Amino acid sequence: MLSRLVLVSGHTLKNNGSFGACLVQASRSFHQSSQSLAPVPPLPEKGGKVRHGIFPEELFTLLYPKTGVTGPYMLGTGLFLYMLSKEIYVINHETFAAASIGAVVIYGIKKFGPSVAAFADKLNEDKVAKAQEVKGQAMAVLELGIENEKKEQWRVEGRHLLFDAKRNNVAMLLETNYRERLHMVTNEVKKRLDYQVQLQNLHRRMEQEHMVNWVEQSVVKSITPQQEKESIAKCISDLKVLAKATQARATV
Amino acid sequence: MMVSFFDQFASPSFLGIPLIAIAIALPWVLFPTPPARWVNNRLITVQTWFINRFTNQLMLPLSVGGHKWALLLASLMVFLITINMLGLLPYTFTPTTQLSLNMGLAVPLWLATVIIGMRNQPTVALGHLLPEGTPIPLIPVLIIIETISLFIRPLALGVRLTANLTAGHLLIQLIATAVFVLLPMMPTVAILTAAVLFLLTLLEVAVAMIQAYVFVLLLSLYLQENV
Repeated sequence: MLSRLVLVSGHTLKNNGSFGACLVQASRSFHQSSQSLAPVPPLPEKGGKVRHGIFPEELFTLLYPKTGVTGPYMLGTGLFLYMLSKEIYVINHETFAAASIGAVVIYGIKKFGPSVAAFADKLNEDKVAKAQEVKGQAMAVLELGIENEKKEQWRVEGRHLLFDAKRNNVAMLLETNYRERLHMVTNEVKKRLDYQVQLQNLHRRMEQEHMVNWVEQSVVKSITPQQEKESIAKCISDLKVLAKATQARATV
Repeated sequence: MMVSFFDQFASPSFLGIPLIAIAIALPWVLFPTPPARWVNNRLITVQTWFINRFTNQLMLPLSVGGHKWALLLASLMVFLITINMLGLLPYTFTPTTQLSLNMGLAVPLWLATVIIGMRNQPTVALGHLLPEGTPIPLIPVLIIIETISLFIRPLALGVRLTANLTAGHLLIQLIATAVFVLLPMMPTVAILTAAVLFLLTLLEVAVAMIQAYVFVLLLSLYLQENV
């Protein structure tokens, strides 16, 4: 932001003579990159390659074209012997102390090196795994949500079946109701008609009885005493005949 | 020129420039600052883990007031361990072999704990001078003894560290000299002595770490009493 300010003010000052031009020229050497720090370049996976724990591999590759494989070793031996012979390095009690501590250090690194490295890697991996776990869980929750949503959509598609069934249900109920009431109406009408029929029957019967009574009465009234006597005498004579026949049958 | 074994403990200077400043500043160089990254390289991961773990363990018995000392005690521990371990390398100078440096660390820190105790809770701090359950006739004597023990603490802290490291270095030099001298004469004995030297070096590594830890632990103990 300040760079923009400088550039703008520089631009305006440029026209004001030598001082303005100096200012612009001074700041022009700066502010040339896009000054973006992201994305940060990744760390190298492993450290620089070393041989024998301390000598970088670059030394060996440097010397290989001229002196081959044994070059650096010859150099080392030569340097060491030179230092010894010229007494630049004097062998004294410290040499043995150095050998002792060197043995301890090398033993320690060889024995515990890999496990410490694995421990450090594990610490980092656990950190990353925790974050991935959070991400994974969030993704799982979202996927579950998607599945549920799809299921709901499928359910919605089947909704018309439900409505049809309900509609059928209601229609059946209405139909049943209608038929029941029709039934009831028919029954009621039939009851009334039966009543009328019974009534008519009753009338006819009563008329029949009345007529029969009347006929009987008129017949009874029409029987004269003369007729009565004649019929009684006939009955007696018939009875006598019958008695005689019976007696004859009995004696036989 | 009389070369004695004690020359290794002389404060080094080169052309009149005291090199002890470089020797003391060296541990700062060896511990890189963690960059602003989420996942770091192995060195930084292990270093951060160790410092966090150590500070956590150290602060466990302390109350909240003592947690203000976390930075000081953790950095003191790292400083002392690094200096002690670096001193085991050949031709190096160990600053902690100097009584001046150790007293310079012990006295102010001990005095700080005492003053904090006396200012914030004077009754409790003075009460530490009499252990619980002492029989009544012994009380005056015990108070004197406890006061003496209180004032001996900085001395003990400083001298303990100095003496341990100086003795260790001297022993290493002596036995290494024995190996060096015996090698042309009696090689087998020299080899045996070399074995002793190896074991001694192992011991010295342990002592270097333990002494640093003890120094810091005792300080945290004194703090626990007073905070």
